Amino acid sequence: MKRNLNIATALALGVSLSISLSAGDAQKMVDEAMKVDVAKACDVKSNGLETVVATAAKFNPAAIELGVEFKRLGIRNKEYIRGLQEALKSKSKTVTLHYKKKGKEKTKTFPVDYAAERACKFAVRALQQVREAEKTWRLAVPGDGYKF
Amino acid sequence: MIAKAVKATVAVMIGGVLLNAGSFDVQAEKDRQALVKYFMKKFSDPVKNRGQFFPYATEEDMKNIMPVKKVEDFRLGSYAFSKVGRSQYEEINEMPPYEDDIDAGEELYNGTKGIKECFPDPAIAGEYPKFDEKQGKVVTLSVAINDCLKAHGQKPWKLTKGKIADLEAFFAAKSKEAGKKVHITIPSKAAAEAYERGKKAYYAQRGYLKLSCANCHVQGSGNRVRREYLSPLLGATTHFPVYRLKWQGLGTLERRIKGCEKNQGENPHKPGSQWVSEILYFMAYMSNGLPVDGPDIRK
Repeated sequence: MKRNLNIATALALGVSLSISLSAGDAQKMVDEAMKVDVAKACDVKSNGLETVVATAAKFNPAAIELGVEFKRLGIRNKEYIRGLQEALKSKSKTVTLHYKKKGKEKTKTFPVDYAAERACKFAVRALQQVREAEKTWRLAVPGDGYKF
Repeated sequence: MIAKAVKATVAVMIGGVLLNAGSFDVQAEKDRQALVKYFMKKFSDPVKNRGQFFPYATEEDMKNIMPVKKVEDFRLGSYAFSKVGRSQYEEINEMPPYEDDIDAGEELYNGTKGIKECFPDPAIAGEYPKFDEKQGKVVTLSVAINDCLKAHGQKPWKLTKGKIADLEAFFAAKSKEAGKKVHITIPSKAAAEAYERGKKAYYAQRGYLKLSCANCHVQGSGNRVRREYLSPLLGATTHFPVYRLKWQGLGTLERRIKGCEKNQGENPHKPGSQWVSEILYFMAYMSNGLPVDGPDIRK
């Protein structure tokens, strides 16, 4: 029962948050992401799969809104999350992702735990980096923070 | 003697652009001068500067890095300092693979409804991106071409390659022929704000690799990733559109930025978006005063 409720929550969160998010809301999510300990929050063993997927689904729309969503080997984080939500529904142990790379349809399969941890870390870190960059970007500017 | 010549070139470049500077580009000018100073110091004597700028370079790398004597040489990207890269570049350029694209661009210029009216002088490659006061936003050459097509009731072209790259190749060739230099202006407060946003985007780390553009093309420039030497920000926009061997065809600046973002590990911004246009505005401003050198080839 509890598991079903968690799945429902994860799905509902994913659907509602992927619809739209204003820039102001996205900034609030950055504030919230800064309070998250990524290693702890994205640990599937201690939190359970549903919670980790819900965390990813909660933060990723803000990353999309701010233009900082992670993408690895042609797969957007939202595609990981979508695949995970389908895997939760079907109670599958693997996630099959369908994505496009260089205009071609591709498919890749991952174990759910691995994909969930990645999706969660990608979603939270993308937002944390926004705040970190506000403090660090000037350090790389010649004539400003970068001395040579 | 060499040091004097380098200093004189830098002074002339800086002075020339300063004469045209308005009050809104004070910060941008400071940034540009600092960047020129940085790259001239880094590459004036790579062996002497090895500890500071090339700490991970091997003996083989150091043998390959040539000193850069003139700021203008940075229009060649990494071929300004990579001995091996330069010789391959010169060899390929004996029979440039983009010549047909320039011809195709000329046909598009003469045969596409509205293009001649929008761009009566085709030697305009060095003037874009521009801040359009009416629209209140930065407009790249690719976006300006599509705006023109739409204004004349036509379907816009893809912003990254194909017809738009061919037409831009024609514009760049005409600009190079006319001896044009990069001349990006910051005419207003809104333009200065757009420049600052572009600058911040360039220097901010992002993606799952947590890299900024500057990690590779400012601090990392001249260092090697696999077999390739990273190109400098200075001069980065002067030679577009480019024929990349990797692409086996021509591509616009928008296409190149998209590739860089993928390499950083983030979902690329849409070509033509405000983010892309503003980062290109900043990058092009950094090359102010350098000769337009497109189209050209790159690996």
